[in-house]
Amino acid sequence: MTAAQRSAGRKVSLRKDSRRPFDRILIANRGEIAVRIIRTCRDLGIETVAVFSDADADALHVRTADTAVRLGPAPAAESYLRADAIIEAALGTGAQAIHPGYGFLSERAGFARAVTDAGLVFVGPRSDAIEALGDKLTARRTAQAAGVPVVPGTFDAIKVERPDGVAAIVAAAEGIGFPLFVKASAGGGGRGMRRVATATELPAALSAGSAEAAAAFGDGAVYLEREVRPARHIEVQLLGDADGTIVALGERDCSIQRRHQKLVEESPAPGLTPDERIELHDLAIRAARAARLHNAATAEFLFDTDRRFWFLEVNARLQVEHGVTELITDLDLVAEQLWIAAGEPLSAPVLAAAVAARSPTRHAIEIRLAAEDPSRAFAPSPGRVGSWQMPSGPGVRVDTAIRAGERVPPDYDPMIAKIMTVGPDRTSAIERMRRALDEVQVTGIQTTLPFDRALIRDVAFTTGEISTDWVDGHWDGEARRLDVLPVAAGVAAGAVFDGRAAASGGGRSAPGDTRWGRVTLRDDRDPSLRKDAGGSAWRSAGRRAASDRWPR
Amino acid sequence: MSGPDGPATKGPNVAPPPMRVTTTGASLRPGDQPRTVDPTDAGASGSTVVIGRIGQLDRDGRRQVEVVVDGWRFELLVEDEARAVLRERASRDRTSAGAAGGPLEIRAIIPGRIASVAVAPGDTVEAGQTLLAVEAMKMQNELRAPRAGTVTRVPAGAGATVEVGDVLVVLG
Repeated sequence: MTAAQRSAGRKVSLRKDSRRPFDRILIANRGEIAVRIIRTCRDLGIETVAVFSDADADALHVRTADTAVRLGPAPAAESYLRADAIIEAALGTGAQAIHPGYGFLSERAGFARAVTDAGLVFVGPRSDAIEALGDKLTARRTAQAAGVPVVPGTFDAIKVERPDGVAAIVAAAEGIGFPLFVKASAGGGGRGMRRVATATELPAALSAGSAEAAAAFGDGAVYLEREVRPARHIEVQLLGDADGTIVALGERDCSIQRRHQKLVEESPAPGLTPDERIELHDLAIRAARAARLHNAATAEFLFDTDRRFWFLEVNARLQVEHGVTELITDLDLVAEQLWIAAGEPLSAPVLAAAVAARSPTRHAIEIRLAAEDPSRAFAPSPGRVGSWQMPSGPGVRVDTAIRAGERVPPDYDPMIAKIMTVGPDRTSAIERMRRALDEVQVTGIQTTLPFDRALIRDVAFTTGEISTDWVDGHWDGEARRLDVLPVAAGVAAGAVFDGRAAASGGGRSAPGDTRWGRVTLRDDRDPSLRKDAGGSAWRSAGRRAASDRWPR
Repeated sequence: MSGPDGPATKGPNVAPPPMRVTTTGASLRPGDQPRTVDPTDAGASGSTVVIGRIGQLDRDGRRQVEVVVDGWRFELLVEDEARAVLRERASRDRTSAGAAGGPLEIRAIIPGRIASVAVAPGDTVEAGQTLLAVEAMKMQNELRAPRAGTVTRVPAGAGATVEVGDVLVVLG
């Protein structure tokens, strides 16, 4: 090694070791993402300021931050969405920057602008880019102008209030082709969205979609977009610096969704050829460059059965599923966000990871555990958690802010944990996910664990034959629950009987003891009760032996 | 452990009493039937089982047990079968002596905020008619009338926070 190389190496490590992008930052979020950002700050030696609502006064993000500031009552509009209170908290605590996380204020251009106007750094894209990309119509026009294929549809807001325009809209719709979607330009999360199968349904769908969008976003602008189905939903992780360098850090397949909410994400996308992968990354970079994107963002595409990519939108923030990319790139995306926000160019590891992402050598999967009941159409099931045990071991990462005894408040998003696994290939990542999900133990509230367990064992998933309409045809939660009720009844009776026997035998535990999380596993279950015995739409993938051994 | 004389018995209790298990609380679903099980025959091969909270004996000799099987959470009432039979006989006698079909209390099955109330005391409702909506985790969950009747009471108004088990509507 030459002296020059040594000094170059020292320079890089100097940047990481003895300097930090900021001395103190505020995290304008809650739950697992707030905790995840605080962890990176601790790694970098940055002091953290948490904010919280009354529902979260004892939450993990409040406990792990160096300082915490109360924002207000539980409803988000009175706490986590109060831009003024958050900026005031940052100024009052001497924070230099605000990381918005995802959701809440993360994609509100007005918030990003107010943060900058207050003399603070907003960790994310610039407010003008957020504004342009948050408006789906502007994003569609920008992408199309940059030569990126956009899902066929209209490119200007439809004048819903003008009856004389209806004929022209119907004509435009015929040109696009049915079925199509009415979508809200300011939209997100499926709000303001209507599926339209025939021209006669169109006028009603337009006014309903527009009214819903106006109520949800204060902007009733809607447009038409052809339904691409079946399709896979594939997105590209982007990082860009102030100099305009933008790289793609691989893609994530998020095809398994329900009500337009992602349930499972993985990287790389299964089944892409090397050429298709490079094409996708280049399309994403082209769209991001046209939007003058900076910091972290994600470009979303549909991939149809003719193997064509169609641009959907760009999310100008850190995504929920960013950990999947971290597992295959070995990067800390939050740390990179902070360095970029501090004005640094993209780091050497980022540039190297972008090259490596074109020919991935690892596979990562994420499953979202939510406080929802998969036997009741995924109805929310907030409440107090009893015991709480998350998986660990080789190739497993869990991001959560829940602890045993914690109350999951009904005021916010139902997601309670992100369980991620990584392996040298897709099969090993799936095997690890099965093992990891077998380790999960949650009492007190119903979670989506039964759905997650069934999904990861499903043949369609393991063979990579997944599309965005997969869940509808593959899940009968009510029947699945009834399948295990006899087992639960037997276990409950056994627990009471054992407790009584222990008491009469002078055992230490008297009947009536509250016991958390005792695990029993017995081997005499009626074979007809086994899940893989019946003709259910769900098929077990023949890995029972592994789960039989876990946990003891 | 099987010896030449057949399966070994555990301790001196030769015949364990059959037990009655009933779904309850958040686990209660329309059409659920109590089931009678042998408590020593509680097999769970191939399943991941977690036993959660085991409650105190209630006045009727029942104990509430929380069990999670393959991620499915159940709240179950467990009692001796013999005792369940006695209790049912007593309750049948009471019912035949008194008036059948009293008022119906409809309780919250999820915690949240009451987003809107569609009925008021004195209203006549059909089975399936929307009574009110509870908002939890960014979703509106409509509560519908399980049977026809007259609304006699709506204890909480729009905007109120409710917990699981709170009475939302009483049908006469």
